[in-house]
Amino acid sequence: MRQLTEDETKTLFSKLANYTGRSLNALVTSVDDPSSNDRYVFRLHGSRVYYMRLSLANLATSIPRANLLSLGICVGKFTKTGKFRIHVTALEVIAPHARYKVWIKQNGEMPFMYGGNVVKAHIGRWSEDCPEHQGVVVFNMDDTPLGFGVTARSTAETRKLDPTAITVFRQADIGEYLREEDTLFTT
Amino acid sequence: MAPTKPTKDSSKKSSKSPSSSSKVSKNKDVKRPPPKEVKAKARTEPSQLKKKQRREYTEDELDLPKLNMITPAGVVKPKGKKKGKKFVDDAEGMMTIMAMVNADKEGQIESKMMKARQLEEIRQARIKETEARQAQKKSKLDNVKDSIRNKKRKGDDKEDSKSKSTTEEKKGKRKSVAFA
Repeated sequence: MRQLTEDETKTLFSKLANYTGRSLNALVTSVDDPSSNDRYVFRLHGSRVYYMRLSLANLATSIPRANLLSLGICVGKFTKTGKFRIHVTALEVIAPHARYKVWIKQNGEMPFMYGGNVVKAHIGRWSEDCPEHQGVVVFNMDDTPLGFGVTARSTAETRKLDPTAITVFRQADIGEYLREEDTLFTT
Repeated sequence: MAPTKPTKDSSKKSSKSPSSSSKVSKNKDVKRPPPKEVKAKARTEPSQLKKKQRREYTEDELDLPKLNMITPAGVVKPKGKKKGKKFVDDAEGMMTIMAMVNADKEGQIESKMMKARQLEEIRQARIKETEARQAQKKSKLDNVKDSIRNKKRKGDDKEDSKSKSTTEEKKGKRKSVAFA
């Protein structure tokens, strides 16, 4: 387990910034207990990036690398070409800071959680002024984050679409916890 | 007859010799310090062994061809830099990177929105244009229709009077079938 290099940090942040706004800064600066010297850090273990408290990262140094499976929140993994692939486990990290949001109706929840894209008919609300191919976080009408994806069209264009047209391409959804149960945490 | 050396030489020599003798005599008069012996420095002497500072030329100054060197032309290894990965672990470093990334992303989104807006405007203008063209076409068609209708009506008015009379005539001449 090690810290990220400059390039890796940049790649990671630019990926996260696809979905979040300026409040992403809070990820780095957030502190649970201001009196202690603790803060949140990113650590690379294998090819996976984890987000955790510094004290936890320090504790983890006492565990042999081969024996350490996972710690903190897994944000995603670096591919062998150096790109970053964000996982559904990062939803918890990015959802509170989302820049653009899409709320889907109850009849659209199941199709989305089974891995389908979001069609226009299932959308209850959406953030205004969202450009196309922009990362969005998908919520249900009770504001529970269900996953994230990329918009197919801008909001202005989406209005003119027919109800069956795809508006958000799915990238990750919480159904993966069941569907990908076997492979989600394997290295 | 064999050539003989001119006798002049002998006379010159004789004349020179007294002068030279006189010079020697002059030297004898002047007192000089005893000549110092100058020794050639041995090569192994420490002063000789010291390397003279020579100006060192950089590779650029030498103007060597870029190819055929030990390191290939594209590969430049910075000297005196830390080897290996450069980690970012302090909050400030992360914040600076994040600020850069955020600024980048916002610029991208802004440009996307601008582009979308421009495209939307163009689309609206095109729709308006097509609508106007269709309206024009329709009005033209209506005009033509009207004109045709009017023509017909005018023609009808004229024909009506004629046709009425003819029909009446025709009516009179109508064949009738009667059962006996």
